[in-house]
Amino acid sequence: MKKVVAVISVLISFVNTGFSQINSEQNNPVWRMDIDSATVTAQHIMKDIGVQQTRLDTVALRENISTSMADVLSQNTVIFIKSYGRATLSTASFRGTAPSHTQVLWNGMKLNSPMLGMVDFSLIPSYFIDDASIYHGASSVSITGGGLGGAITVNTKPGGNEGFSVQYIQGIGSFDTYDSFLKLNYKNKNFQSSTRIVYNDSDNDFKYKNYNKKEYVKDENDNITGFEYPVELNKNGDYRDFHALQEFYFTASKNSHFGLSTWYMKSKRGMPTLNVDYRNESNSRSRQNEQTLRTVLYWDRFFANIKLMTKAGYTYTDLSYIYSGDDGTGRLLEMIHSQSYVNTVFSKFDIEYYLGTKWMFSANVTAHQNSVSTKDNATLNPGSVTGYIKSRFELSSFASAKYRPVERLGFAVNLREEFYGGRNTPVIPAAFVNYVISKKGNVTAKASVARNYRYPTLNDLYFIPGGNDSLNSETGYTYDGGVEFAVSNKKASLNGEITAFNSNIKNWIVWLPNFKGFWSPSNVKKVNSYGIEVKLKTGIDTGKSRKFMIDGNFAWTRSINKDNPANWADESIGKQLVYIPEFSAAVNAKFLWKTWEFAYKWIYYSERFTTSNNEKNTKIGKLGAYFMNDVSLEKHVNFSWANMSLKLLINNIFDEEYESVLSHPMAGRNFGFIVEIIPKFKR
Amino acid sequence: MKKISNYISFIMMSIAVISCMDYGAKDESDFNYSGGDGLFIVNEGNFMYGNASLSYYDINNKNVEAEVFVRANGIKLGDVAQSMTIHNGTSYIVVNNSGVIFTVDINTFKIIDIITGFTSPRYIHFVNDNKAYVTDLYSSTIYILNPKTKKISGSIPVVGHKTTERMVQSGKYIFTNCWSFDNQILVIDSEADKIVDSITVGIQPNSIVIDKNNKLWVLTDGGYQGNPYGHEIPSLFCINTSNLQIEKKFDFALNDSPSKLCINNSLDTLYFINQSIWKMGINATALPDIPVIPYKGTIYYGLAISPETSEIYLADAIDYVQNGKIYRYTAQSICIDTINAGVCPSYFCFKLK
Repeated sequence: MKKVVAVISVLISFVNTGFSQINSEQNNPVWRMDIDSATVTAQHIMKDIGVQQTRLDTVALRENISTSMADVLSQNTVIFIKSYGRATLSTASFRGTAPSHTQVLWNGMKLNSPMLGMVDFSLIPSYFIDDASIYHGASSVSITGGGLGGAITVNTKPGGNEGFSVQYIQGIGSFDTYDSFLKLNYKNKNFQSSTRIVYNDSDNDFKYKNYNKKEYVKDENDNITGFEYPVELNKNGDYRDFHALQEFYFTASKNSHFGLSTWYMKSKRGMPTLNVDYRNESNSRSRQNEQTLRTVLYWDRFFANIKLMTKAGYTYTDLSYIYSGDDGTGRLLEMIHSQSYVNTVFSKFDIEYYLGTKWMFSANVTAHQNSVSTKDNATLNPGSVTGYIKSRFELSSFASAKYRPVERLGFAVNLREEFYGGRNTPVIPAAFVNYVISKKGNVTAKASVARNYRYPTLNDLYFIPGGNDSLNSETGYTYDGGVEFAVSNKKASLNGEITAFNSNIKNWIVWLPNFKGFWSPSNVKKVNSYGIEVKLKTGIDTGKSRKFMIDGNFAWTRSINKDNPANWADESIGKQLVYIPEFSAAVNAKFLWKTWEFAYKWIYYSERFTTSNNEKNTKIGKLGAYFMNDVSLEKHVNFSWANMSLKLLINNIFDEEYESVLSHPMAGRNFGFIVEIIPKFKR
Repeated sequence: MKKISNYISFIMMSIAVISCMDYGAKDESDFNYSGGDGLFIVNEGNFMYGNASLSYYDINNKNVEAEVFVRANGIKLGDVAQSMTIHNGTSYIVVNNSGVIFTVDINTFKIIDIITGFTSPRYIHFVNDNKAYVTDLYSSTIYILNPKTKKISGSIPVVGHKTTERMVQSGKYIFTNCWSFDNQILVIDSEADKIVDSITVGIQPNSIVIDKNNKLWVLTDGGYQGNPYGHEIPSLFCINTSNLQIEKKFDFALNDSPSKLCINNSLDTLYFINQSIWKMGINATALPDIPVIPYKGTIYYGLAISPETSEIYLADAIDYVQNGKIYRYTAQSICIDTINAGVCPSYFCFKLK
């Protein structure tokens, strides 16, 4: 048995943590300290049979203080992030699906808005996340239902050394950008308190040459004689985001642990003006303000073969969108005010049972009670508002059996059932298998298949006007298969993974104008998405304190509209969905020499269409291929009183002029300088 | 060490070579459509995409040119092109969410002027050669524009209303409909630039025309279920512009949603969309029973009647995220052409000799 564990431990350590072990910051599992490590490893393996998972290590999550999870996902995974710019809405498209098809959990509690179904990843500071995992396609069923593209878990966890520690990071960057991070940590044998604060503040008023406008030169007869493209500032793009995270961990006994995580966020953001907008900030402004409080209390209890986990949580969100315009007198008046409040109570009970070394059973029940209140005074007479107040109870129950009959082979079957507002989805089944093809190269084949359902959001059902309370759940049928490997010697390691997937989604909810002239959702779209995902990591230790690391990912994603045509003229059938790139890739290269670190980041997306018929003969309706190059140079300095690091960032080094989303200007070459200080305290 | 440095250098150089984005200035093309009759198709595009466009259809030769604004000028039309009006041989294109009006040569499609200073402009109406009014979606104001200087010269406060839409003229009076969450037609004295009266009609008057007898016709959509302003039967109103009295009212069914009221060249026949396309004489005593163009499974997004031939032009936005189609029918409802348009074609502007 020890041999089995050892072999699989090596495999897992390479595949899941990749090259993170080369780095100074270790990425320890949560409770490893308290349980026999061999047992934990074996359990981990059983749990992940056949699962297509990408774990984000701390190298990715701690890239720099100005990054959000949107940047991390974009750079380190095959997920396509559609971003409108710095600190603006950033949504995920996983395997060619919609943002609402990626389910996101923070410490087990849903982050997806019950109103909109999606997550804005630009509002999750990566420094608040200690552990993030991406579950591709069918693998998301083991986490939650509704992940027709997949699921992402972002978690906090205890860590660090005993005693008191402080970490302070200050960043300063182009466009009056200031990013601050403070972490205060205290830990003893049974107790830990961790406080983290992030504050991002930027005018974000970068200059760009606007190729969508011309300033004409006229002669005395008012005839145009020439023009130039105006150099404009990014208007209304300022943001002020404050995040505070307080955590307490308490070890009641060797096998009993409590934790409490509370995350408060206050965000005030302008919504940047389009580069085809001729208004200025004095006569037109859009702003989005949000306050959110999330808290999760959890308790884990371990027995010989049983692990029990209980969680309870609460989320409060106050979100407003305000448009102010000139009323003709030069005064800026509020003309649209959309306000929503969300209260969610969450609870989860989870049990895992290990029967010998060949069987593992697990089950859990997750409940969310959502209460949403929205009001909108757009173009209304004073005192008259539109909106809805709705509550919905959501319950997700899950059972799983995993079986490893022989050392090389593992099977798993998952069943999930979801209830929402008095209705239920059909049973969500998923099956997984993996097989170790070669122990020498740690070559493992994996495959999974699932049927999945995503039920409508509260806006889909109740938004006024247009909400459609007769909507059905979207249905997805997905399967994938792939091979992963990991080889290494004393000086180098190489691991990689290739996966092919195919998904069919029907009853896809789409909002379209109806006869009454307003937009309303219906279950109309059928989509077939298929493709290939490739991940590769390598590391070389040449000695003399020199290390070289490179990792990359590549995705080929076809996300094809398989609807019935809207009418004879519909040319969208058989075409790629809008804004989904067919090809995407990213590379991270890092060179470490003594106390220096040089990093190079590169991202590529192929051409994206903004019309459903993939119109190519257009000057306004497609976005060319996207390439982005960023570099950084970091120096670590150790003093007797503190460890310090100094980091210089150059983003968009080739000063590319571009749009990532139609008509949204992006910043050219820009700089950042980051200082990190970790004082040393006597222990 | 040298080997690794070379390796890094090679990677960086490779990346640099393939890291050039295709973005920047757009070429300009020359057009000259000074010959025959033409139809401008205003494609509003998708909100916040900035993909509005202008198509030009040669009515005689049945040729269509796509994206003529960006092709002629090298810059995009903007976000949500709302309407277009030709006055004294110059076209005025109102681009709602760009807050701009472009004046454009009707033959070369070249920009003449760019007029800014609006909040959310919708339609432009020329009172005379020295004065035009511009309605607005959000601002409680009608802007006064001097077409000669291309400057905003003043404004008319629209107290108690937010949305002003289309405008028609009878003598010195301009009539405009307050559409969103409203039920009023405002009467503006164009000499005093003041609102002098108002007419209460049904909920959400969405379009207006004036007939040969100087009667104002108003189409209301009746709101929707759950609307805090109310939900009622949509109606077609006929109003005497002299005494502002409602002379006739025709009721639709509660769930109907009539829109895009138009009138023919002789100003005696009304057309509108209510799933199908309907035609109604101004002396009719009831709403028509049989459509002139039946519903064919798509929601029509725009309608226009040729002021010269009474031909019917019908816009089909298909799924609202692809280039739409325009169907051209004779006055006798025979389809004689299908025209490729841009995304969300919604408004037509005729250029006639």
